[in-house]
Amino acid sequence: MSLRTQRPTITTSKLAFNADAAAILIALALAALVRFNVIHHITW
Amino acid sequence: MSTATISLPPTSAPASLPRRILALLPGTLLLFAIGIAGKSLEALAVWLRSAHRIPFPHIEYVLWAIILGLILSNFLTIPEIFRPGIATYELWLKLGIVLVGAKFVLRDVLHIGGMSLVLVFIELALSLTVMTLLGRIFKLPPKLTSLLAIGSSICGVTAIMAAQGAIDPDEEDTSTAIAAILTLGALALFTFPAIGHLLHMGQQSYGIWTGLAVDNTAEATVTGTLYGERAGQFAVLAKTARSAFIGFVVLGYAIYWASQGQAARVERKALFLWQKFPKFILGFVAISVLATLGFFTPPQLKSLGNLSQWVFLPAFAGVGLRTRLRDLVGQGWRPITVGVLGEAFIALITLAMVFFVYRHGGAQ
Repeated sequence: MSLRTQRPTITTSKLAFNADAAAILIALALAALVRFNVIHHITW
Repeated sequence: MSTATISLPPTSAPASLPRRILALLPGTLLLFAIGIAGKSLEALAVWLRSAHRIPFPHIEYVLWAIILGLILSNFLTIPEIFRPGIATYELWLKLGIVLVGAKFVLRDVLHIGGMSLVLVFIELALSLTVMTLLGRIFKLPPKLTSLLAIGSSICGVTAIMAAQGAIDPDEEDTSTAIAAILTLGALALFTFPAIGHLLHMGQQSYGIWTGLAVDNTAEATVTGTLYGERAGQFAVLAKTARSAFIGFVVLGYAIYWASQGQAARVERKALFLWQKFPKFILGFVAISVLATLGFFTPPQLKSLGNLSQWVFLPAFAGVGLRTRLRDLVGQGWRPITVGVLGEAFIALITLAMVFFVYRHGGAQ
């Protein structure tokens, strides 16, 4: 059987923003908030 | 790191920024709801066992989140309104990884990361060779073989997507390679922790093994965390070291296919490498540097570590939500067979390397 028949199509859903830059910015912002005790004692 | 979602059609971008943010809300809330439901179910099971002696099976919150996501995406129809937000699982995954940097001082990153780089280099050479050979034996289309080799050696779907623009494969080949990598990632979730327990592996050795052998960053993080919190963090570290090679491998294949006249020539190689480099790794290193310099107190470091676990919750939910089992099994047996054989080989080789380095898997 051919490899090129009857395969479901898998398409990609990309974010409308740069996830890398957003992740770094949010992480640094959260780190600053924790460092300056705006957010403190996060439990799990 | 995976940026692909099965069978989710590209959404049309709403015009204004507030509307775009608003469009992300339902899916994002769904991710958090599933993640928190997973954590609540784990706590409920503990309570039922301890307070009422009901023999409820112990299932980690990570697995609960994935199971709930799988049920939703495979047995129910997720309304279109949730889809843009579900794609944000990638953001939560990267944010969690950057925050995990707080759990490693720079000396650890350089030592373990450096050691991982050596192991990654060996893993890369072996997996690229084996996948290429298997692709020829099973007579796969050459570019599909290239995609499977890239995906299995570096970081799964992200590497395949990075290669898509560089080697210009058929859309079907990309689709098949993604399906194979996602199928193998799903298999790893269940097989790796069992093997780790069977071999009594330490948290560090198991985590490094997972980071070296499991392709997608999301699945590697989940597979590591299923074994233990520390194992998950080491999986992230090893996987991050592996992801750093993405540009070099994709560039190599781009140059090869350009020499065959079947892809565009790469003119500015340094720029190409920078474009393909996963930038969130820089955030991970930055947080680790701050932790090393004593910017945070020990309780603050603990808080940041806990924060990363909370942020991983929606990412784990996203792994389940984006996995459509029907699509995965419908891609033909040959690519999946090549993937399974190649991945089994890579898992065994990396396991042997980790055992050699860690003296039979004990924690260092």
